[in-house]
Amino acid sequence: MTAVDTIAVASPRSRRRRLLRKRFLRRPMAVAGLIVVLGFVVMAAAAPWLAPYAPSATDFNALLAHPSSNHLLGTDSLGRDVLSRIIWGARASMQAGFFSTMLALIVAVPIGMIAGYYRGWVDTVVARITDVLLAFPFLILAVGFSAILGPSLLNATLALGIGAAPPLIRIARGETLALREEDYVPAAIANGAGDATIIFRHILPNMTSTLIVQATVTIPLAIVGEAVLSFLGLGVQPPTPSWGTMLQDAQSYLAQAPRLAIFPGIALVLAALAFNVLGDGLRDILDPRTTR
Amino acid sequence: MPQPLLDVADLSVRFDTDDGMIHAVDKMSFTLGAGEVLGIVGESGCGKSVTCMSLVKLLPETAVIEGRALFEGRDLLAMSSRDLRRVRGRQISFVFQEPMTSLNPVFTVGRQIGEVLQRHLGLSRVEARARSIELLDLVRIPAADRRLDEYPHQLSGGMRQRVMIAMALACDPKVLVADEPTTALDVTIQAGILDLMRDIRERLGTAIILITHNLGVVADIADRVLVMYAGRKAEESPVDDLFAHPQHPYTLGLLGAIPRPYEGDDTRRRLQEIPGRVPSLRELPQACAFAERCRRATELCRTEIPELHEVRPAHRVACFHPGENAAV
Repeated sequence: MTAVDTIAVASPRSRRRRLLRKRFLRRPMAVAGLIVVLGFVVMAAAAPWLAPYAPSATDFNALLAHPSSNHLLGTDSLGRDVLSRIIWGARASMQAGFFSTMLALIVAVPIGMIAGYYRGWVDTVVARITDVLLAFPFLILAVGFSAILGPSLLNATLALGIGAAPPLIRIARGETLALREEDYVPAAIANGAGDATIIFRHILPNMTSTLIVQATVTIPLAIVGEAVLSFLGLGVQPPTPSWGTMLQDAQSYLAQAPRLAIFPGIALVLAALAFNVLGDGLRDILDPRTTR
Repeated sequence: MPQPLLDVADLSVRFDTDDGMIHAVDKMSFTLGAGEVLGIVGESGCGKSVTCMSLVKLLPETAVIEGRALFEGRDLLAMSSRDLRRVRGRQISFVFQEPMTSLNPVFTVGRQIGEVLQRHLGLSRVEARARSIELLDLVRIPAADRRLDEYPHQLSGGMRQRVMIAMALACDPKVLVADEPTTALDVTIQAGILDLMRDIRERLGTAIILITHNLGVVADIADRVLVMYAGRKAEESPVDDLFAHPQHPYTLGLLGAIPRPYEGDDTRRRLQEIPGRVPSLRELPQACAFAERCRRATELCRTEIPELHEVRPAHRVACFHPGENAAV
């Protein structure tokens, strides 16, 4: 009896939250993804405390050292601790991943929504430009933009953000086109709502779950993208650690010390995979059609 | 005669489509007095909804609207969209047919009612909440303060329609346009909603335009009825007179199509359908639009548009051969 009462009294918001949590916990892959993602985020945030050595500290007594108790993952050609550099490198990856995705959303969502809501010539122009940009692979686009902007982590983030925008524009536009036909839109107009109210208060909240899922699949793209840009010398500049620059450095020693490429490579794959798995899980629990 | 609240004259609505002009409404005129309930009846696609939606420009941009619609002396059709936005929901409110989908699924009921209150009346969140509870009480939703925090999917269809009505009434509008408000609901719930609307008219003095294809609903609640056919007015009459002395053959057809319980022990009465179909609205004929389906039609009906004329007090009909007898 008391249990029934508590359920009846609990607010619908918290009930929904509890339901989502239950659905999420029933997906072990998604939970694993979330744990790994959180691990990387903590790693990036707490790098100074977690890393056993300073990322650029050189130990000339241990050049290209094998993994040992002093250097858990060994050292590189300048005697820098690989584990510390991977931990610090997570910063660049997470920064690029989160901020460029955020930038892409901030740019893409309003453009896509305005195109989808007003249609007409605005829509035609936006849709054609998006189509042209979509014809270029994401990385080509990002490399092109960062070549224009110049090499630095900030510019790489901007380039990745702009590069990731076109597919998001398309998704925001498509969602808006569908949602503006919902009955609550004319109902809101009949109640005196203006265009801005309808777009941001009625349509946008209805596409948040789609956007959340899209964001979680854009982040790993941006993380890999940052590594590629840094590898090509367009992103993080040495000696600042990044997984991409570590891979670049490892190139020359592939024969003697393949572990220099393998360890940052594993970190990169793990991070990208974890975000993807998490994104899949979120899509499953947020999409009412896949509800079990 | 006092100034009517809403005075619509020669309202025409056309849609400019790729297939040419669609004449949805042709020279409609009607008035609505303060606190009056006007029923607009007709088949699907006869222009009932379009007539009302055109008043505050809820139609797509392809619609061409002509005519005059004075609301408290101001022409709605000549208003700027900014002024119109202040009329919508504030002075003239709508309740639509689909209560299941007309509420935004991601917001609580309270937030959606509150939004209207905050927009039009500039209430604070707290004030809006208090007023929302009053409104839900008004539309007879039990445990209003708890319902306020629920999402639309947690409510039944009838409840949602009540919420829509509460939202429409939020700013104490002068006119409530109810577009098939009961069509999507169970019969038992329908009666409750109609009851509620009658109550609202009595308590708040709101004038109601009730759009429906159900003459039973009209008989239940309306003061005056307007029968539309193919975008034109066919008959207009006080409700009792319409049922007692229907004049237009189309009205007679509609009345014949109402299912009635088995009466007496003689022959079972078969429901009468109206033969034929509603004419294409692509080009309105310079003739009576109903002529093709009408048993009384003569040469005159096919060459001239019948004018509206008064056959009984306040009872006007647009027909060359009006009469109560179905067998004419």
